[in-house]
Amino acid sequence: MATLTIDRVRKRYHHQEVLKGIDLDLNDGEFLVLLGPSGCGKSTLLNLIAGLDEITDGEIRIDGRVVNGVHPKDRDIAMVFQSYALYPTMSVARNIGFGLEMRKVPKAEREAAVRKVAALLQIEHLLERKPAQLSGGQRQRVAMGRALVRDPKVFLFDEPLSNLDARLRIDMRTEIKKLHQRLGSTIVYVTHDQIEAMTLATRIAIMKEGVVQQFAPPQEIYERPANMYVAGFVGSPPMNFLPAVVAVEKDRLGLFVKCEAHGAWSDVFLPLPPQVPVQLGNGLAEHVGREVVLGLRPEHITRAGSDLASGQVVVEASVGVLEPTGADTLAYIGLGGQDTVARVKPADAPRTGETASFALDLGSASLFEPKSGARI
Amino acid sequence: MSSSLSALPRTHTPGARALRIGLYLMLALFALYYITPLLVLVATAFKTPDEIRTGSLLSLPLAPTLDAWRTAWNQACIGADCRGLAPYFWNSVAIAVPGVLLSTALGALNGFALTKFRFRGANVVFGLMLFGSFLPFQLVLLPMAQTLGFLGMAGTTQGLVLVHVVYGLAFTTLFFRNYYVSLPDELVKAAIIDGAGFVQIFTRIILPMSPPIIVVTVIWQFTQIWNDFLFGASFAAGGAQPITVALNNLVNTTTGVKQYNVDMAGALIAGLPTLIVYVLAGRYFIRGLTAGSVKG
Ligand SMILES: Nc1ncnc2c1ncn2[C@@H]1O[C@H](COP(=O)(O)OP(=O)(O)OP(=O)(O)O)[C@@H](O)[C@H]1O
Ligand SMILES: [Mg+2]
Repeated sequence: MATLTIDRVRKRYHHQEVLKGIDLDLNDGEFLVLLGPSGCGKSTLLNLIAGLDEITDGEIRIDGRVVNGVHPKDRDIAMVFQSYALYPTMSVARNIGFGLEMRKVPKAEREAAVRKVAALLQIEHLLERKPAQLSGGQRQRVAMGRALVRDPKVFLFDEPLSNLDARLRIDMRTEIKKLHQRLGSTIVYVTHDQIEAMTLATRIAIMKEGVVQQFAPPQEIYERPANMYVAGFVGSPPMNFLPAVVAVEKDRLGLFVKCEAHGAWSDVFLPLPPQVPVQLGNGLAEHVGREVVLGLRPEHITRAGSDLASGQVVVEASVGVLEPTGADTLAYIGLGGQDTVARVKPADAPRTGETASFALDLGSASLFEPKSGARI
Repeated sequence: MSSSLSALPRTHTPGARALRIGLYLMLALFALYYITPLLVLVATAFKTPDEIRTGSLLSLPLAPTLDAWRTAWNQACIGADCRGLAPYFWNSVAIAVPGVLLSTALGALNGFALTKFRFRGANVVFGLMLFGSFLPFQLVLLPMAQTLGFLGMAGTTQGLVLVHVVYGLAFTTLFFRNYYVSLPDELVKAAIIDGAGFVQIFTRIILPMSPPIIVVTVIWQFTQIWNDFLFGASFAAGGAQPITVALNNLVNTTTGVKQYNVDMAGALIAGLPTLIVYVLAGRYFIRGLTAGSVKG
C-alpha cells in the first residue's frame, strides 16, 4: 500500500529514446493501467519501476522514497510476468514461497503464508505439483500467488492475461478486480487490451511511442479523449472521424458536414447545442471558417425517434452495409464523405440502400484539430 | 519422425521396389564396412597367438580366451615397464574425471553469466571464446608448454588437467550459452525480484534446469579428454601418461614377437570407457544436441 510517483522518466537504449519523459502520479490503492500498442514502452516502464533496468533520466518514488538506485529486492514490489516465469523445477508451494525463502523467513511462517495465499486463490490442491502439470489459468494463479505472498507496496503486472483463452481471460479479469478491491493495493498493470484497461483501471495512461497521451479515469478517456490517437485507440468499433467546417448560421454555431442522401452528397449544417460544454463553444469561436474533425462514437449515431434529446440533430443519410452483432446492429452510412458507423437497435435497423434519418448526439461529440489531432 | 514417415502408404511400382532394394543393399554395405575392423579387433583379442598365425583374419576364435586381456591389463611391457596398461588407465581416469567436471562446471557458469547476467562487452568475450573453439590443438602446444613450465606443472597430471580444462572451456561455454539463451529471461527477473542473487539464481533455478546440456557436455568432454593423444604425448612425463599414449607405446614396442591379440585387447580396453558412456547416455546426447532447435 503506497503511492507511486514517476517523475520525468526517460529511458534510452543506445541512441534510441524509448521513454520520452513520463510523468505519472498514483495515490495509495490506485489501479493504473498502461495501455498502448506493441513497442510503445510499457514493459520498459514497468521494468524501470521494478528496478530491472536503469533509468536514463528522471526519478521514481515509492511512498515518497526515491528508488532510482535501490535494488529490485529492496523496493518492496512484486511482479507478475506475461510468461508467468514460474520456476519449472520447483513445486507450486516452493514457487510461491521462494521470495520468502530468499528473505530468510522461517519455514513455519513461510508455509503458513503460502497456505493463506493458496486459499485466497483456491489453488491449495495444486501445491505439490510442478508448473508443467498445471493448466494456463492455474499457472496464472500461481504467478499471482507468488506476488501476493510477500504483501508488497506495489504490484506490477505485465500483460498477465494475454496467454489465456478468451473465456478464462474474462474470469481472471474479474478476479483481479475483486482482489484489488479486497486488498486495496497499488497496482500498475500493462495491457494492450482496451476492455481490460477500461474494466480494471482507476486511471489509464495511454502511451504511444514513449509518450503518455492521456492520463485519466477510464470514463473520461472514453468521453473526453485528449486527442485523435486516444479517441481511435479506445472504443470498439472506433470513434468516427468526420471532416467538418466550423460556421455560424442564423446566429448559431455549428458544423458543415458532407452527407449522402438519395444518392447525392451535399453539405449539411449541424447546429451545435447552445448548452454544450462552454469550453468547447468558447474555443470554437475562433475556429469559424476553419476545418476541424468531428469525433462521434457509433453509439452517438442512432435512429431518429419521435422526441429528440437535447444536443441531438437529425440528418438524412443513405445506408450501406449492415452488420448485426446481436445486441446492436452496426450500419455504415454516408456521412462526412465516407462510411460512418452508426449503432442502431436491431428493431429499427434500416435497409441497405435506403435513405433513413439518424440522430447525431453532438452533445457527446469531440472536436479535434485536423493537423495536430489535439482536442479543441 | 521416422515412424510417421514409415506410416505413410508405400508405392508398390516395380521401379520403387528396385530402388528400395538398392537402398538397403547400399546401407548393408556401409554397415559391413564400418563393423569389419571392430569384428577383427574383438575376434583377435580373444584368440591365442597360435590361432592368429594359422587362422584367417576374419575367422571367429575357436577357443576364446582372456589371456590377451590379462596380459594387456597388467603384464604387457610398455618400454621397460612391464606392469601393463592398468596404471595408465588410472592415469587417464585421474585426468579425465577432474578435467570433465571442472570444464563442465566452468562452462555452465560462463554460459549463465554470458546470457542471463549480461555485462558490458559480453558479446566480445563470447566471440573470443567461440574463436577459441576453432583453434587447432597444434597451435596451443608451445604456449601451453611455456605456461605449464612457468606454473611448475610441466609433466604432471594436474598440468594435463589444466590444459584440458582451458582448451575445453571454449566448447563447454558454447554448449551452455546456446542452451541458456533459450531459457526465458523473465525467469531470472522474477528471481531477482524474489531476492535471489547471482549464485542463488544459478544454483537454485538454472542448474536444476540443465541436466540435458550437462549430459551433452560431459559426454563431449569425456570423449575429448579420454581420447586425447597429442596433449598427453606432449605434456605428460613417463609414468603420468594417459592410456592413449601408453597404448601407442605398447603397440610400438619392438622387442620380441608381435602380440597382435594383446595389442587388440589393449585397444579395446582403451576404448571401452567412451563406449560405455555412449551406450549409457547416448540417448540424452542426441536429445540434448537438438533441444531448443525444435521449440525455437
Ligand atoms: N534491451 C533493449 N535494447 C534496445 N531496445 C530495447 C530494449 N528493450 C526494449 N527496447 C525497445 O524499446 C521499445 C519499447 O519496448 P517495450 O518492450 O517496452 O514495448 P511494450 O510496450 O512492452 O510492447 P509489447 O506490448 O509488445 O510488450 C521497443 O521499440 C523495443 O524495441
Ligand atoms: Mg511488453
